Amino acid sequence: MKNHNSMIFKKKGPLLLFLVPAFAFLAVYLFYPFVLNIWNSFQDIGGLGQAPAGMNDPWYKNYTDMATDPVMHTAILNTLLIMLCTILFQVGIALVLALMVDGIRVGNQFFRTVYFFPIIISATALGLMFNMVFLYDGGMVNELLHSMGLISKNIDWKDQSHWFFTMTAPVMWQYVGFYFVIIVTGLNNISPDIYEAAEIDGASAMQRIFRIKLPLLHNTLMTCLVLAITGALKVFDLPWTMFPNGIPLNASWLTGTYMYKQTLGGAQNVDYGSAISILIVVLGVVISQVANAIFKEKDY
Amino acid sequence: MTTSPLVKKQRNPVRAALSKIVIYIVLGLWAATTIFPFLWVLGNSFKERKFILSETFAIPTGDMFTTSNYQTAFDRIPIFTAYRNSLVISGAVTVFVIIIAGLCAYGLARYSFKGRRLLHSIVLAAMMFPAFATIIPVYRMEFQWGIANTHSLPLTWLSIILPQVAGNISFAVIVLMGYIRSLPIDLEEAAFLEGYGVTRIFFRIIMPLARPSFATVGIFTFLWSYNDLFTQLFFLRYEKFYSITRLLNMISSQEGTNYGLLCSAVVLVVVPVLIVYILLQKNIVKGLTAGAIKG
Amino acid sequence: MKRKFALLLALVMCIGLLAACGGDSGSSAPASTGGDNPAPSDNPVELTVVTSYGQEDGNRGIYEESYKAWEAATGNTVHDSSSMSNEEWKAQVLSDFEAGSEPDVLFYFAFADGDPLVNGGKVVPIDEIRAEFPDYASNMDDARIPASTADGKKYVVPTTGIWEGLFCNNVVLAEAGVTAPTVDTTWDEFLEMCQKVKDAGYTPIAVSLASVPHYWFEFLIMNKGGFADHLQMPTESEAARTAWIEGLEGFRQLYELGYLPDNTLTNTDDEAVLMMAEDKAAFLIDGSWKVGWFKSNANSDNYSVTYVPGNSVRSADEIIGGASMGYMITRKAWDDPDKRAAAVSFIEHMTSDDVVSRMSANNLGTNALKNSPAITDFPDKISETAYQMATGAAKQSGAVQDLAAVDARNELFTNDIPQIAAGQMTAEEAVDKFIAAYNG
Repeated sequence: MKNHNSMIFKKKGPLLLFLVPAFAFLAVYLFYPFVLNIWNSFQDIGGLGQAPAGMNDPWYKNYTDMATDPVMHTAILNTLLIMLCTILFQVGIALVLALMVDGIRVGNQFFRTVYFFPIIISATALGLMFNMVFLYDGGMVNELLHSMGLISKNIDWKDQSHWFFTMTAPVMWQYVGFYFVIIVTGLNNISPDIYEAAEIDGASAMQRIFRIKLPLLHNTLMTCLVLAITGALKVFDLPWTMFPNGIPLNASWLTGTYMYKQTLGGAQNVDYGSAISILIVVLGVVISQVANAIFKEKDY
Repeated sequence: MTTSPLVKKQRNPVRAALSKIVIYIVLGLWAATTIFPFLWVLGNSFKERKFILSETFAIPTGDMFTTSNYQTAFDRIPIFTAYRNSLVISGAVTVFVIIIAGLCAYGLARYSFKGRRLLHSIVLAAMMFPAFATIIPVYRMEFQWGIANTHSLPLTWLSIILPQVAGNISFAVIVLMGYIRSLPIDLEEAAFLEGYGVTRIFFRIIMPLARPSFATVGIFTFLWSYNDLFTQLFFLRYEKFYSITRLLNMISSQEGTNYGLLCSAVVLVVVPVLIVYILLQKNIVKGLTAGAIKG
Repeated sequence: MKRKFALLLALVMCIGLLAACGGDSGSSAPASTGGDNPAPSDNPVELTVVTSYGQEDGNRGIYEESYKAWEAATGNTVHDSSSMSNEEWKAQVLSDFEAGSEPDVLFYFAFADGDPLVNGGKVVPIDEIRAEFPDYASNMDDARIPASTADGKKYVVPTTGIWEGLFCNNVVLAEAGVTAPTVDTTWDEFLEMCQKVKDAGYTPIAVSLASVPHYWFEFLIMNKGGFADHLQMPTESEAARTAWIEGLEGFRQLYELGYLPDNTLTNTDDEAVLMMAEDKAAFLIDGSWKVGWFKSNANSDNYSVTYVPGNSVRSADEIIGGASMGYMITRKAWDDPDKRAAAVSFIEHMTSDDVVSRMSANNLGTNALKNSPAITDFPDKISETAYQMATGAAKQSGAVQDLAAVDARNELFTNDIPQIAAGQMTAEEAVDKFIAAYNG
């Protein structure tokens, strides 16, 4: 905490300049609409863009509905599972890849570029592609299994015993590149002096990773953790393209897709959707703060 | 580090070479999974429609090959106007986000004051507001100000830039904050002793030092603004105002199963982003050396 | 206060932006920055028009040509903001009305989706327009102009309507030793055909219960409740409720007999339709808009369109069809003395005999014209049989699902029907759930 005692930051005047533009934007474009959103969650509204038809009866009806809605429970459970997978696989794989790329010279630039590819292709196109990969009849995976003689009848990759894998794998794969870029940036921040010192000490590659890189990546990994938590709560487009309307038989709902269904996905229940979006925000803030408290950010 | 009692030992060259090979295999495998879809899209964009399903993973050669998908895209629509609109909108969003979020991240990272945790939570919360929960009030607000749904190009630009800036600030603040906190404070103190004001420290010391992180944030902001079809659908009403994403969404949805056209649309959308990424990515690497020299 | 501050901020950003643009795009940024649009002069008139004739619509070309012809003839300007109809588009249209930024002329739904506009008094009924312009929509047969579900009045002037029918893959049918159903084929005979197709190793019916069971729903219900009462909601009579329950049970029957695709609970509609093009399935219920798809994705001479088989309750030539959308004038434009006549003239032009019959010929859709020219020349078998089916139909009814509020029907289609088929919910439960949603 030494920087907070630094003379530079004793005068609080410039703080206004630093904070006001950003928070003004957030206030006008996000919080004002979101306060309306809270208000909306107590009213009776049909489709998006329609005027409210009055208050709900009782006004907190959506919140009690949420507590008893079995689909909502499925959505929360699935989302928590996705969150866990996101942290383990997206951030995990990204970290391993970033450390590996950081340790090599030849091809370094190449890997950095191609790992970014999945993020720039829009979710719609990716959804289409993965639909072809997992297509029941003639899809890549089924064709491959057929040619290897592993199956005699097509596997329905979206049915009740396979959907979680089919939905999660593309999401994991797509966002590894995102965390990869962030972690690589963090690694670049480590001064070469430190490595030189370690080199002189004769630290092995593994020792360098565990004694230097990982501790110095602490804040970057914290950032990734927070982004992974909030990202999982919001994840929407790719799952919705591949698994619209909770197929199969209401199994695959996520908080993001279920909220979309209420507002634009045909359920025409904007007030319920508003209530879900509030739940998403609350869950996100709470879980991130818990994570923050467990793995405290450090100042250097 | 210096006090740790590490024993100097000779590296085993065979083991080192082996681990290099393993590393390259792993990296190569992952690269294959990321390149493949891109090649798939690129390949199919040059295929006749009927081959896309039956020969989806084949290389387009012979009578499978066609440039008609691109011709359709270029013939039917004012594609260069759309590129210009996209670059203006996403470029402006990126510049504003970098400056505004950079200032905010610096303030939150370095100052200690009452309510700092609260502001941090506010930023976090804002990151999770789904666009479909806020778009209607934002649209109404801007319509009342007279900037949304007009027939004027600059105002239309403005009407979409503002909500997109707001939508990207919190992500940028989170990432920049994490990075700035990892920077050693010594340089700032040295500059302060030389009589630098705190704003000057931000622009002259922090921004160059945190350039890799600013570049990362810039890439993602540009990308999200550029690909944010939902907001664009709401604010870009007339064809002459369309961005490239909005425009190609329109033509590619003309026939839901015209996968060739869709793939060419994806390629046309992706190429500028790829260029921006490669340009900014050099910056990430340069940032390292620049920071090191100054550090 | 917050508003004022936001406005100030917006202004500052505006200036900043224009400065930035100067650097970004050279001379392309116009010099006028005040934000004041030039006031529209009295004459000519500028009309803002919103329709669902987006680029992807088969009749987009005719639409564009026609409004440009109108612009040239009158000297007026059309600001066209058309887009494919989907939930985003509907939300945008409705929110425009809420914000007061609605267009002058609108091509939108007569039924449930359009109710908020009618209830809010945002659009002008045809009768009111005729009081001043007696010839308005006089080329249309009033009986076939759809009336609003909100107040029973007529607001929209339709262009082309749709029909729904049974698409047959004649290659697969020949392999199975079956000839395509005709107007005389009964439901039981149809099931026998399905069995033969299945025995021959093909999928009898291409359908995605996971996403689009909508067309089967209409005919399964009508086969139980009959044509005359088809538009009755299960809330209105016990007979309708029973018809719905028995009709919905049909989904489970077809599913259990194995006549539907193996993955019908998880596939997409595109996947299902593709089975027809790839000669893997024999039958598909779909609409007039699908003819064009077959033309460009399959050998359209191998397909024919016929009536969905009926039974003692419903004759096969009683079909689903008609117009559900049309042009409307908004109250705002009507009350604007500059725009009133122009809006009327625009709609009269866009729904003239010439424009509508060209659109009809193009998409084989029905129309409400008093004098609709017959089509005699067909490029392929699918067009010919489709036209014969549509024009030969004894009676046409709207789809009952169009009358239901969007939320109630969405739950039924995307959630309940797959569960009924899979045996996780009874048809009775689903109908009662629908009734509760419809009343609530």
